[in-house]
Amino acid sequence: MGRNSAHWFALPAVALLGVFLLYPFLDVLRFSTWDWSGLSEPRMIGLENYQKILRDPDFYNSLRITLIFGVMTLVPFVILSILLALALDGQPYERPVKALLFLPGLVTLGGAAVAWYTLFSPEYGALASVFPVPRWDQSPFWALVLIMLFTIWRHIGYGVLVVSARLKAIPRTLLEAAAVDGATPAQAFRYITLPLLRPAITFLVVIGTVLTLQGYTAVFLLTRGGPFGGTEVLGYYLYKTGFEVGRLGYAAALTVVILILTLAFALAQARLLREER
Amino acid sequence: MRWLGHLLVWTVTLLVALPFIWMAYAAFIPPEVIFSGEIFSALGFSLANFEVLGRGGFWEGFWGRLLFSVLLTGSVTLLQLTTGFLAAYAIKEGARILPFFLVLLAIPVELLLVPLYGLLVNLRLLDTLWALVLPFAASPFIVFLLFQGMRTVPEELLEAARLDGAGHRVLLTRILLPLLRPQLIAAGVLAFAAHWNLVLYPRIVAGSKELKTVQTWITDLQRQNPADWGPLSAAALAATLPLVILYLLYERRIVETFEEGLKG
Repeated sequence: MGRNSAHWFALPAVALLGVFLLYPFLDVLRFSTWDWSGLSEPRMIGLENYQKILRDPDFYNSLRITLIFGVMTLVPFVILSILLALALDGQPYERPVKALLFLPGLVTLGGAAVAWYTLFSPEYGALASVFPVPRWDQSPFWALVLIMLFTIWRHIGYGVLVVSARLKAIPRTLLEAAAVDGATPAQAFRYITLPLLRPAITFLVVIGTVLTLQGYTAVFLLTRGGPFGGTEVLGYYLYKTGFEVGRLGYAAALTVVILILTLAFALAQARLLREER
Repeated sequence: MRWLGHLLVWTVTLLVALPFIWMAYAAFIPPEVIFSGEIFSALGFSLANFEVLGRGGFWEGFWGRLLFSVLLTGSVTLLQLTTGFLAAYAIKEGARILPFFLVLLAIPVELLLVPLYGLLVNLRLLDTLWALVLPFAASPFIVFLLFQGMRTVPEELLEAARLDGAGHRVLLTRILLPLLRPQLIAAGVLAFAAHWNLVLYPRIVAGSKELKTVQTWITDLQRQNPADWGPLSAAALAATLPLVILYLLYERRIVETFEEGLKG
């Protein structure tokens, strides 16, 4: 029995991923040239869907909301990850706290959303009886804040882990040498720790982008795009157009556009990463 | 400065824990207390909320959906581990397909709802159990994670076993399976959580009553009765507990796996 016979063991994974991941990924281009509701017979319409997207005010609105949501989530996510990792470093409670921070990312999303909803709902929520909760059911801004808090809540554990792993790789002797040379803790942080953390920070930005892209699940669970369409991030707009309105061809074209935007973003970030090496 | 750090850590920890504490508390609030509005002053303990969940037929009620989801996601996890384990073995034995998996890793699966739906329509798998299983029967992430683990197994060990006449089956089940137990556990928990937490996908491709996952069931209940916290919280708690227990059992392994992944 030759060693090469082992290669066949990859077949199930390769075949399944080829059919259910790679093929749909490429096939979306074909769907995007269709006028198709999922039930009707598809009709070929060429690039008409793309032309419509370029003139679609809802698309631009959704793009704007996604960018706002992205920045709104990314900045506190990165800062909080760094601060927490620094504060936790070397503390006796470091392990249990890290373990707890990691938990929200794994637990049942729908259940977590229920807990958040019953806590923070301005009308029925438990906290509303203790202090006035901002009306996120009426104000698009507060609704975005809610989605942002939920997103950070779910992923802060991972963010802390990223910074923490990097922090542990900084040699103690470096900071001790700085202290011997008379650097204050603030100076040591500014000129030694922070520059050495930069790769971790760049990585957090990359993760943050992915989280922004995934934010639509939280939108679906908590606000359903409302109030007044104020939380309709791109992913949610895609879902709504495809499966609630039933314009699958148009949604396929939207998918392609979002993929291209994401790719452009990822390339820009990859360049940033390379410049830092 | 130090006390500021402590303060930050404990504030954030408390805020992160708050929804969990609330979920556990609200699940046992007696129904009459909720409607009186005095949820924090009148302490009470009742299992009435859990009884409400049992109403209706078993398979269409909450407990049936929970059992269905555990079985479904459990099977999908086993499938993913099996296909991933075999593929990682093939790569370890010299199959040059690692780049294929790495490329797939970069595809944002979240954005494939539309073409996957189209594919399932064409294959006539829409609204069948297969729609919830087949697209998740293999995962590039799991392949990668298990291959990382297999890389640490010394080649001499496998070579020695081969000289003793061990075939693939013996190598896989007697040597690699026990050695990779920690990675398989961590990968298994992550795979379980990922499939368990699909929200929109199951709703779209398998919406019928017999295929409803517990996520969909809870979300539907929240739509219908947003003010009825008791049963909602009881359902949320019962659906979250399996994952919390799984996590607590293997927490050290999972966090370590993530840390190792960050070093690479």
